[in-house]
Amino acid sequence: MPDGKFKILLVDDHPLVREWLASLINQQPDLVVCGEADSAPEALGYLNSQATDLAIIDLSLKESSGLELIKTIRSTHPAVAVIVLSMHDEKHYAERAIRAGARGYVMKRETTKKIIAAIQQVRSGKLGVSDEVAALFAERFVDNRRRSGTPVEELSDRELEVFRLLGQGLDTRSVANCLHISIKTVQAYCARIKDKLNLANATELLREAIRWSESGAF
Amino acid sequence: MRVNPTRLMTWPEGRSRQSVVLISSAIVALIGLRDYLLSWQISLSVIYVYPIAIAAWYIGPRFAYLLSISSVVLFTAGDLASDIPYSSWLIAVWNGVVRLVFYAVLIHMLDYIRSLTLGLEARVLERTSDLRKEIVERERLERELLEVGGRERRRLGYDLHDGLGQHLTGTALAVQVLSQKLARRGAPEAAEAAKAVDLIEDGIALSRKLAKGLQPVEMHAGGLMQALQEFAAATTDLFKVACRFECEAPILFADASTADHLYHIAREATGNAIKHGRARNVTISLDARDEGSLLTVRDDGIGIPVSVPKNGGMGLTIMAQRAKLIGASFDIRAAEAGTLVSCCLPQPSPGVESGYAARKQDPHYA
Repeated sequence: MPDGKFKILLVDDHPLVREWLASLINQQPDLVVCGEADSAPEALGYLNSQATDLAIIDLSLKESSGLELIKTIRSTHPAVAVIVLSMHDEKHYAERAIRAGARGYVMKRETTKKIIAAIQQVRSGKLGVSDEVAALFAERFVDNRRRSGTPVEELSDRELEVFRLLGQGLDTRSVANCLHISIKTVQAYCARIKDKLNLANATELLREAIRWSESGAF
Repeated sequence: MRVNPTRLMTWPEGRSRQSVVLISSAIVALIGLRDYLLSWQISLSVIYVYPIAIAAWYIGPRFAYLLSISSVVLFTAGDLASDIPYSSWLIAVWNGVVRLVFYAVLIHMLDYIRSLTLGLEARVLERTSDLRKEIVERERLERELLEVGGRERRRLGYDLHDGLGQHLTGTALAVQVLSQKLARRGAPEAAEAAKAVDLIEDGIALSRKLAKGLQPVEMHAGGLMQALQEFAAATTDLFKVACRFECEAPILFADASTADHLYHIAREATGNAIKHGRARNVTISLDARDEGSLLTVRDDGIGIPVSVPKNGGMGLTIMAQRAKLIGASFDIRAAEAGTLVSCCLPQPSPGVESGYAARKQDPHYA
């Protein structure tokens, strides 16, 4: 293994992608693919035995979730940076991946144009995401600031309780059962939460509730 | 209308058979007694027909013959015992034989009619049960067809997205590597290779689009809400109608196939509203009710015709079939303005945990 090069592990269950991604990366003078894995256990096994700077991980792996792998790497190998390379749309998944501990997100359909740049950005300590995702993050940040600190604090106790249960993945009916109130009442709470948090619809409400629940804010 | 022939037609068993035997014998004995006591001038031989007919119909010809013989014996004995001025006793016997023949013909005819009717009933029953089996089989096939269709679509969508998409990604990377090698050598073909990379990447985008068409509902519990939201937005853009999706609070579906069927019901109903109903506004809504999850599609179009032909519109049949498949009720009716399609999925019994479990299993949730 040549010294001084940035060592990269590829975790993807598609051999063709691994093979040519490795070729592409190895063409760069300062990068080298030092290992490949097609599953989470294999990747962790490699990281335990070899010094690695960066892991490029597909979100959908055989029998395991890329997101879980990212969380594990973050806690067991904090020095290893992670970039997600996924078929899934960055609009829906980039934020989640970054929250799980990834430093970058590249959609597979843009691999040829963006992966090297993302690696270099992560290498220099920045986030390796597209301009669109960066803009989205900035917007969210500003939005959150504008909404007087954490807007969740504006929720009443009961609303907060509903919000918390939604974040745990319960739906309206289950929340109603859990709090021993009617479904109509839960819906009324949801409408008020949406108003207070300025959310457009139930899907956004759910996403926000899960995000808040996972950030461990309660 | 369904008649239960077994009650009417079969030989009675046990106690009821015994009682028929007793009653018919008793009637014969009674009439015989009456015959014996009464004047010979009033012949009551016709009245014997009644118990004999009952016996022939319910007990069987053998007992009926026995009964008719005993009634003839009674009758003749009665005649002989009274002071009838027969020229010869043979005439009384002759009369008895005539009656016996008459009863025999009656018993034979009754038996014949009875066996005909029984045979007919049995055939009708057989046909009915065949038909019923066929209906059940056809419904099963229809359901199977829908299920298989859905499963195949989801599989194709997955293959396109994850199989072909990945393969094309690898290919694009390979050509990119080639293009960079060419560029390093200063070969003019490098630009063409770069162009090929772009073309392959267009192919990836295309396969994604196809996959989305085949598998519109993403496989996580909130997938249906998201898919209906996107569908409403796309419909508004595409058809110049105001299509809205309303959902007050999150409604989750752990089962991908259920979500898929509900999505297609909403899509079909919206399509009908625009195509046939000429609606300007369509509202798709997903609502949690006490009785279950309710999907409705409301429009302000011209409404459905008063009498929808029974097999008319494959769309209606398939929507109903989809609802039946997931155990939901389905209803389509004229609203104050336009049409209201509703489909109510009763809440699953283990309810409380399902949403949570679904999310835990799915890494891509939210």
